[in-house]
Amino acid sequence: MKTISRRTTLLAALATTALTLLAPMGATAQEDPQPSRTLLATWGGFEPQAVFVPAGGGGSPEFTSTKILEPMLEADDELNFEPVLATAVTPSEDFMSYTITIREGVTWHDGTPFTTDDVVFNAMEYWKGVVASAAFQFLTGAEATGENEVTLTFSQPTPEFFLKSALVRVLVIPKHIYEGTEFATNEANNAPIGTGPFVFEEWVRGSHIEYSKNENYWADGQPYADGLIIRYWRDPSSRTAAFEAGEVDIGVYNPIPAADIDRLGAMDEFATSTGGYLTSAWASTIEFNSRNPIVSEVPVRQAIMHAIDKAFIADVIYSGKAVPGTSFVSSSNSKFYSDDVPQYAYDPELAAQMLDEAGYPVGDDGTRFSIELVAAGWFEENAQIGQYVKQALGDIGIEANLNVPDRPSSFRTIYGEYAYDIALSNHSAPAELVPVQTNFVTTSGILKGVPFRNASGYSNPELDAIVENLTSETDEAVRAELAHEMQTILAEDLPITILVEHTSTTVASADVKGYDHLANILANSWAGLWIDESE
Amino acid sequence: MGRLVRRRLLQAIPLILGVIVLNFGLIQLAPGTMLDVVTSEQQISDPAQIERLRALYGMDQPPIVQLGKYILSVIQLDFGYSYRHNDEVLSVIAQHLPGTLILMFAAMSIAIVVGVSAGIVAAAKLNMAWDAIISLAVVFFFAAPTFWLGIMLTIVFSVQLGWLPIGGMFTIGADFGPLGWLWDLIRHLILPATSLGLFYAAIYARVARASVLEVARLDFVRTARAKGLSGSRVLIAHVVRNALLPVVTMFGLQLSTVLGGSVVIEAVFSWPGIGSLMVDAVMSRNYPVVLGVFVLSAVVVVFANLLVDLAYYKLDPRIKEKA
Repeated sequence: MKTISRRTTLLAALATTALTLLAPMGATAQEDPQPSRTLLATWGGFEPQAVFVPAGGGGSPEFTSTKILEPMLEADDELNFEPVLATAVTPSEDFMSYTITIREGVTWHDGTPFTTDDVVFNAMEYWKGVVASAAFQFLTGAEATGENEVTLTFSQPTPEFFLKSALVRVLVIPKHIYEGTEFATNEANNAPIGTGPFVFEEWVRGSHIEYSKNENYWADGQPYADGLIIRYWRDPSSRTAAFEAGEVDIGVYNPIPAADIDRLGAMDEFATSTGGYLTSAWASTIEFNSRNPIVSEVPVRQAIMHAIDKAFIADVIYSGKAVPGTSFVSSSNSKFYSDDVPQYAYDPELAAQMLDEAGYPVGDDGTRFSIELVAAGWFEENAQIGQYVKQALGDIGIEANLNVPDRPSSFRTIYGEYAYDIALSNHSAPAELVPVQTNFVTTSGILKGVPFRNASGYSNPELDAIVENLTSETDEAVRAELAHEMQTILAEDLPITILVEHTSTTVASADVKGYDHLANILANSWAGLWIDESE
Repeated sequence: MGRLVRRRLLQAIPLILGVIVLNFGLIQLAPGTMLDVVTSEQQISDPAQIERLRALYGMDQPPIVQLGKYILSVIQLDFGYSYRHNDEVLSVIAQHLPGTLILMFAAMSIAIVVGVSAGIVAAAKLNMAWDAIISLAVVFFFAAPTFWLGIMLTIVFSVQLGWLPIGGMFTIGADFGPLGWLWDLIRHLILPATSLGLFYAAIYARVARASVLEVARLDFVRTARAKGLSGSRVLIAHVVRNALLPVVTMFGLQLSTVLGGSVVIEAVFSWPGIGSLMVDAVMSRNYPVVLGVFVLSAVVVVFANLLVDLAYYKLDPRIKEKA
């Protein structure tokens, strides 16, 4: 047997000690942000309709515009608010006004200074007028009250988390570009001028958007990347090939097929992360049209929920990249989520029994009743969910006529004409429930023709009152309790609920750093992202 | 020849008008309008604002009035305004057209050169190994979906070998100078043009093979051989020239389908062309752009057929005599 000498033992001990001491140093050095080459990015969706859409426009323009235009605040992964263009947002004691202190020395990309005039203009003309965020619904005035201070006044108390969440979502646009113009058709929407870390350079439609580094950015040393290029491939498999060929550094929102996410994630050259989607959790929803006398009955809705195997949808249709929903609020929402609400376990026999008891026995033709099932055509998985739900309902004697319209037709069918009995759709909700998520269920959210509002026609005065309290209650603990009450009512009445919560994944080269702590990777400015070129 | 060109151009006028009327009607029948998409994406709920947009897009007028106005505008080369792009339709199309024309030209060049050569070789080596190999390849490339072929070529030549770029038209942000620019374009073009071109090459190979075999049996070919001309001279100077007529016909017919086929290839290779513009326009019910692209396609087909007629004129002396 080979023996180990004292010298060998000593050398081994020394080497181990040295490695132990050096390893963290090495790791620290590696994690220190460094100026790096241009970042090549992509995402799991299509090209935007414009680089910036003033009223929102969905994830694609949100991704492209937030690298140029900035909000007042941003949220970290623990939902703490960090300064961006505002260094402080301070409520008055009665929460009837807020003082915003703006960052000094910030200039727009065309060299014009960013001032309190911009903030006043944004508050009154853009945030309140165009974005129409509920947080600004009761905004009565915005006034420069100091060289770097703007005071917003409200007609009722406005909760701090509510307002600050809104200040994370709304971008600040230049007054000297937008004042007196039609915001929706302003030419700057396709070549925005902002204060952000990247300057718009070029948009080659069908191919890419190119940004250069903002050399005058307010954060010292940032952005770390020399530029940013967002590339578009309609075909997800082509994105996989682009990753493997080194032509893309980072892709957000499931940029490649689920099987490829697992395959690339197992390779040393790549990293995958499910972080960065805290304030934009996507979910697949099921919505019952209250205008249909049968599915407006709560026992029928509850029976249908017992007939649907949410775990099957998550595991098979989403290849495990989703989890079954348990409430109207996503489980990733640490602020308001509660699973202490009625649950509907998969039990088709119970579902059939409940329908019998509700007065809908199986008829001579083998069915209980028929419904129009519409699967919104903006995600291809919706069509697959539609096929599954059709079969699941068929198993309990409900005949479902499945319709999968394309995107414009889906908008019209579900939100314009309400021509459905059960709709399979989606929503992406920020941590703050009001108004994005509450608009799906409040009476005031019933706005015919406006998508992602209350299409079910559900109207419950008790729930409306809870949402109204959520809008004005300033005690966050009380707000959490109100949110729980809301989820309980919705879990019982089921006008709309989550089938599965999507597990969004970022895929990146292993040398891309600085993205894994972000609350919303899509809407972040990416000033802090860099490429470790030392390897 | 001048009369032929004039006649063809005059015939194009009712054709293009027909294309406009038919497609305008089809668009009217499609569920969902541009206004639905715009109001949805912009989250516009104010009825007054929606009515203002309806008037802005000219959708507050009866369809027949909209159609009449559109035809009058097109006559003045005004294809309307794309509110989605914040730009004139002609300008939007002009941004995408070069990409598609380059891709179409390259793909059809590959298709003709490779397809016709393969067809001639297969016919010349009838029932021999080359014929079998080419016939097998023809079946393969005809059957293989272009998007699949594109992805496979990408995996081999971009991912595994690293020889060619994976997508786009140029290396973004690079300045290579005039010659370097051209080389960069060619490098980006090879895979998409090959993916698209090989499908059509398979068709041309079959047509060329059958045509060569048919012409080779004709009397004048036997006469040419009897005169003592070499086999290759008979093939090239007598057989191939006459056998090319069906290939030219096929070329004219297929130019419009290449435009359609480029939609898939543009998606796979992130190629900035008309195809991706068209898909976006249809999905967003961007009627001015959809109609603009349809009219443009009709013009392309008309000119392609004119070129085919002119080629016939050159290739077939009988047509020249009739003209």
